[in-house]
Amino acid sequence: MIQLEHISKIYPPDVRGLRDVNMHIRPGEFVSIVGQSGAGKTTIARLLIAEERPTRGKISIGGWEITNISRRDIPYLRRQIGVVFQDFKLLPKKTVYENVAFALEVATVASSRIREIVPQVLKIVGLDEKGKRFPQQLSGGEQQRVVIARSLVHRPKVLIADEPTGNLDTISMREIIDLLEKINSFGTTVVLVTHNREVVNALRRRVITLSDGRVVSDQAEGKYLLPT
Amino acid sequence: MSFFVTFWRIFLAAWKHFTRNLWLSLTTIFVLILALLSVNVLIGVNVLLTHATQNLENKIDVSVYFSPSTTPAVLEQARFFMSGLPQVKSAQLLTANEALAAFKARHAGDKKILGALDELNENPLGATLILKARKTDNYPFLLKALKNPQFDFAISSQNYEDHANTIARVQSVSRSVQLFGAGLVLIFILFSVLIVFNTIRVAIYTQREEIGIMRLVGASSSYVRLPFVFEGIFLALIALVFTGTIVVALSAYIDPRLASVFDGANPGLSAYFVGNALILTITEGIALASLVGFSSWAAVGKYLKR
Repeated sequence: MIQLEHISKIYPPDVRGLRDVNMHIRPGEFVSIVGQSGAGKTTIARLLIAEERPTRGKISIGGWEITNISRRDIPYLRRQIGVVFQDFKLLPKKTVYENVAFALEVATVASSRIREIVPQVLKIVGLDEKGKRFPQQLSGGEQQRVVIARSLVHRPKVLIADEPTGNLDTISMREIIDLLEKINSFGTTVVLVTHNREVVNALRRRVITLSDGRVVSDQAEGKYLLPT
Repeated sequence: MSFFVTFWRIFLAAWKHFTRNLWLSLTTIFVLILALLSVNVLIGVNVLLTHATQNLENKIDVSVYFSPSTTPAVLEQARFFMSGLPQVKSAQLLTANEALAAFKARHAGDKKILGALDELNENPLGATLILKARKTDNYPFLLKALKNPQFDFAISSQNYEDHANTIARVQSVSRSVQLFGAGLVLIFILFSVLIVFNTIRVAIYTQREEIGIMRLVGASSSYVRLPFVFEGIFLALIALVFTGTIVVALSAYIDPRLASVFDGANPGLSAYFVGNALILTITEGIALASLVGFSSWAAVGKYLKR
């Protein structure tokens, strides 16, 4: 599903974000990418959604090589990958319903389909009663659930969650992780980027550990090994 | 079908964005109104200056004085010849009596002159031909035309030399006014373009995060750009309506107050703006909407790189 081959990323002038990273994630897997700040976790997430380009190496998702993807094709890639961010990235002037519907509108999905899909995904994340609210009227956990709902509307094969619990309290954090597991159980590949030891250890799934831009460990049922 | 759906969604998004960012929208409209007003005020000033110089030009004439012994046939021949020239706007012939009455009226307050006139038993003045040219440039030609041997001998004097400096000055002022006015309008248009461009850039700068988010959820460049362009056009049209109302109201208010400067005549400011309302609205509307649309398109582009 996701293949990274000899990926290196150098930020000008000579800051090394990633050094010769190789990674293969199979369809339906739930993988946590962990590491301390500056280890290169977020760089991988950004490479996967084509927010960054690798300096060297090859990236492919679902057989589509995106290493040198054109600017024109980036929107099509992003419509096929669900992305959840630590800082939510919701449109503040749109309601919950409109934020979720926006991801479908940009893909020119018919209005009747949008009216059908959006309430369904809002129900999955437990926000079917709050569709008319604006993001600032929601708690952090609720905002993150809106982001997950938005990432699900295209029924993506891959969901990338970059520190999705970073701004949440313990209860909200548990809810979000449960939701990600639920989504994974439907067959979606989930890539969780985090430095939260508690979350990783509770999951008992595959853990890829990064340190100084290199993969230092890849365990099938791993734990958070690094010191916090 | 998909084109119309997309168009409608973009239009709707622009409208919602406009209403939900009301303060930002109002501030932008305010700046657009100021930019439009500055251009229209300059246009108005130009109209007034042109009108004022035309007024001055209309007051210029050349009086040709004939000797008292000139026969009516010669006088009529002179009037007929001069009025037939295309450069002559009007040629009015005053008889000796009418010339005397006009002279007395002009010097009504001067007792010495009137007293001197009374001491004479007969009318010392001859007939007068008052010539008005179509353009002030034409006066030197008219003077040459007066050298016609058929009536040249009967001319005792003409007052062009007295007026020559005034005419030259009016001509120079008229040319300067037109040049200065056009230059000033151009400069204000340039300032307005810069102000509008930067206002839109600042307005979009405040929304750069949203632009980035739209891209991250899979919106194409044009899907992100077009609502901002449409919203800019809404703002431009609203500013245009407000400016039009202000300009018409202001010119109607100013017109009677400036009448004294124009010897009681209507300065014609209101008439100019009402008479040219359609062409001004279309020109300014297209120019402003294009400018705002282009500015929005360019400003959003800066945040679309990722």
